[in-house]
Amino acid sequence: MFKLNLKIAWRNLWKNKGYTLINVLGLSIGMASCILIFIFIRYQMSFDEGFKDQDRIYRMVSSWDYSDGNQFYSQGVPIPITPAVRDDFSPYIEKVSAIQNSGGIVKVNDQHGKEKVKSIENVFYVEPDFFEIFNYKWLSGNYESLKEPNHAVLSKEMAKKFFGNWNDALGKTINYDGNLNYIITGIIDDVPENNSVPLRIMLSYKSLKDRNLNNWGSVSSASESYFKLKRGIKIETLSEPLRLFIKKYYTEKAPGKEGHIFQPLADIHYNERFGNFSGRIMPKKQLYGLMVIGLFLILTASINFINLATAQAVSRSKEVGVRKVMGSQRGQLVTQFLTETFIIVLISLLIASVLTEIALPSMQNLFNAKISFSFFQHPIILVFMFVLVVCVSLIAGFYPAVIMSGFNPALAIKNKISANTGGLGLRKVLVVVQFAITITLIIGTLVILQQMKFIREQPLGFNPTAIAMVDLPNDSLTVERFNRFKAQLKQLPGVEEVSFCRTAPSSQNNNGSSFAYNNSKDADFQVNAKNADEDFLKTFDLKLIAGRNLSKSDSTNEFIVNETLLKRLNVAKPADALGKMISLGGQKKPIVGVVQDFKNKSLHESIDPIIVCSRIERYYYAAVKLNAKQMMTTMKSVEQVWKSNFPEFVYNESFLNDDINNFYQGEKIMGTLFKVFAGTIIFISFIGLFGLISFVAAQRTKEVAIRKVLGASTIELVRMLNGSFLIMVFIANLVAWPLAYLFISKWLSGFAYRIDISIWPFALAMVISMAITLITVSIRSYKAAAANTIDALKYE
Amino acid sequence: MIKIENLEKVYKTEEVETTALNGINLHVAAGEFVSIMGPSGCGKSTLLNVMGLLDKPESGSYKFIDTELLTLNDRERSNFRKRNMGFVFQNFNLIDELTVFENIELPLIYNKIPAGERKRLVNEIIERMNIVNRSGHFPQQLSGGQQQRVAVARALVTKPKLVLADEPTGNLDSAHGNEVMELLCELNETGTTIVMVTHSSHDASFSNRIINLKDGHVISEKINKSRNEELI
Ligand SMILES: Nc1ncnc2c1ncn2[C@@H]1O[C@H](COP(=O)(O)OP(=O)(O)O)[C@@H](O)[C@H]1O
Ligand SMILES: [Mg+2]
Repeated sequence: MFKLNLKIAWRNLWKNKGYTLINVLGLSIGMASCILIFIFIRYQMSFDEGFKDQDRIYRMVSSWDYSDGNQFYSQGVPIPITPAVRDDFSPYIEKVSAIQNSGGIVKVNDQHGKEKVKSIENVFYVEPDFFEIFNYKWLSGNYESLKEPNHAVLSKEMAKKFFGNWNDALGKTINYDGNLNYIITGIIDDVPENNSVPLRIMLSYKSLKDRNLNNWGSVSSASESYFKLKRGIKIETLSEPLRLFIKKYYTEKAPGKEGHIFQPLADIHYNERFGNFSGRIMPKKQLYGLMVIGLFLILTASINFINLATAQAVSRSKEVGVRKVMGSQRGQLVTQFLTETFIIVLISLLIASVLTEIALPSMQNLFNAKISFSFFQHPIILVFMFVLVVCVSLIAGFYPAVIMSGFNPALAIKNKISANTGGLGLRKVLVVVQFAITITLIIGTLVILQQMKFIREQPLGFNPTAIAMVDLPNDSLTVERFNRFKAQLKQLPGVEEVSFCRTAPSSQNNNGSSFAYNNSKDADFQVNAKNADEDFLKTFDLKLIAGRNLSKSDSTNEFIVNETLLKRLNVAKPADALGKMISLGGQKKPIVGVVQDFKNKSLHESIDPIIVCSRIERYYYAAVKLNAKQMMTTMKSVEQVWKSNFPEFVYNESFLNDDINNFYQGEKIMGTLFKVFAGTIIFISFIGLFGLISFVAAQRTKEVAIRKVLGASTIELVRMLNGSFLIMVFIANLVAWPLAYLFISKWLSGFAYRIDISIWPFALAMVISMAITLITVSIRSYKAAAANTIDALKYE
Repeated sequence: MIKIENLEKVYKTEEVETTALNGINLHVAAGEFVSIMGPSGCGKSTLLNVMGLLDKPESGSYKFIDTELLTLNDRERSNFRKRNMGFVFQNFNLIDELTVFENIELPLIYNKIPAGERKRLVNEIIERMNIVNRSGHFPQQLSGGQQQRVAVARALVTKPKLVLADEPTGNLDSAHGNEVMELLCELNETGTTIVMVTHSSHDASFSNRIINLKDGHVISEKINKSRNEELI
């Protein structure tokens, strides 16, 4: 029986090659997109998985509540918190460990004492307990030695990089940050990319020298603290002890009320409020968005299938009738038709796998992640594909199977099943649903592209073009060389301006400090202090609106403030602020200038109150404004000059424009995804539409012929055939508009600077969808209307 | 073998109710060959469909060797049908996607006959029907007469107790029509009960008994003497 059914299925598919092609094409593209989305989501969900007792691992993070209602969060904690937690929470937690991130130059000498490796590396100072909390795989050595200062543990990759062969690394030394040597006492297996703590070089925590070691008032995102709960203890149990803990240790008055949160390990990769050491965050919201798009894709393709299958059902009615006459039961017929669907879906899956393989590299590029399509590595992908095939077969196949198996045999054998049996109404509803999805995506894409363009063209308040940000090594020795270095840079042809500063005007590195204005007490908000020399305004083309520029100085003698700061202080006229005193970090100095507001963060956020002042110990970048025509050659000379001034350091540069674009990485990915998936869905929907109009045209051939004989013109006939489709797509537009409106207003609300929602994307989506519909159906209906009428009638 | 009593069948559409069968009483003995005649629209096909369990009547009784068939559920009806009945239609109703051999094989598959046995039975009937050299062809590649012979072969291959034929010669010229009628006669002679709807008195003359329907009633019955004498 099965063999025979298979034969019938195959011969039917072959007979209706066109419809089969449309189905297979739609399903395989839809499934390929779904598989890609699944692979990506699986990768994102695999972060920080696989540790022993992972449910009991938490990170302690910080929050501040300000009296103006603002809240501020940090992934970091004050450094002294870890030992305090170890004492005060001992009834509840098994282990707690601090981990301090740092970056600097690692040097390795060969056996003759000659330098063989010098590179900038990311290192972590960790306590041995860290390895009691996270069970990494140890290849050799152990973490006991980290109890003492000056020991190091390396990942296999780093050991190989420094010593050629990881087996040789044990007992050797590396030099970090110029002054200290560390003995390698352990090697762990490489920590995979899907980890929020990308351990590669681990140093004894005891070797950490930080001026904030005992300071409860300073929090850096580089200082994190992890703990493991005791077995059987609920995290809620800790809230009362935490309250007492905070009361006990935060005794000084600060502008924000300090708080701490126990963040589960499983939350770290998804929570946007807090960062992490890997810099990879994937809000769950975005993953859900992708899932919805995947669902849309598969739904659109399934709708094509349902529509074409029910439309074709009549041609199978005789077969159904005959089978029933011979004693076939309805269940057997349902099984038969489902099997047919299953086969088509299976064929589509094979093609989808090939498409996935082809699309994977661009996907990896887009997300900058090492995702792989390997069944052996991730058998779950195979499970997903199996589930996908079963679901799609059921969604797409069940309804047509029920319709076809339900034909009355007495009618079916007399060919009396009308062509509209099996849901003409349903077909219309499905087309509307399909196009509502398509149009929502078209509108979404248009708005995302419009917003991206808006952001690109937003005046930043400064000019970021042709500015290179070059790392500036800053310690007591290098500071001496700053003047000479700056003078040499300025002499280079192609260099227009040079400014030494802590950050560019716009940066992801923003620190808040408490301050007081005009002899009053501390303001109830914090100010973002940017340290820079007197060339800062010139180099970045920042505009003064009152007062004058900073005068040349290595220390803080005067301040420039921005408009936002004055607004927050309720100072109406910028000129009124000139000469007023500001106390900041123990310095009380006058305001000499007011700078026009500039965007100091991504456009998701509004502008901070800002103070600009000189302070040479905090200059970490040399901002070099270049002549745009000879940027590349100039940068070579900049590098040479740099190396001659700081030979013991490693050169690093980036362009400000790239840095700013990086703020919008997430949006860029969203934009690309929407373009690609909207394109895909449009394609699937319209081939489906083409299939349906082909069917309608074929079904109405005789009617068209008779009308033509009676004198209808070709245009009138085309219009008649097109009519219902245009109405359906029009209704789909009406359905899509409120949906799209909800979606885009939600998305746009995440931007502090955003376009107003206008009618245009909606209108444009309508024009696009109606135009493509008109073209798609007209191609086919024109052919039907212009065909030779007599042929159609002769058949009777 | 068949006892039909007070059978009523009403078709309801949006506008009209058509009483297709209006109190039919009919007995058919085992081994009989009965023809049903009457004007177009008098309910012949409806009666045949009800007898074949393809359609359900509103009321009445239908006994087949003492089994009441009208109270069976769907599953029981299709089981009963595939074990006991064979059908021949005016428009052949062969499945276009299957070859002659596969078409004939289909009812055996539904009856769960093992593959080897199926092959033997199909080949046997193909030989008997004289269509051996056509067994790999598709229906569209055959003439009408050949198609109907395949349809008859398909009806016979399960060796049913009852064969129901609805205008089996309606779409055939007289030469091909006669061939089919001879086949049915041969079949009847081997003991199979046949009920046939026809418009042609020539075809009816092959049967033992002729029943005339009008407006859903049996208006007359006639024993076909010539044929019965022939039998004697
Ligand atoms: N599916 C149906 N729906 C409504 N009326 C039907 C249907 N099938 C048959 N009829 C009506 O029932 C009557 C008997 O039809 P039928 O048994 O096909 O007649 P015939 O004797 O020509 O075979 C006719 O009036 C016909 O119009
Ligand atoms: Mg009839």
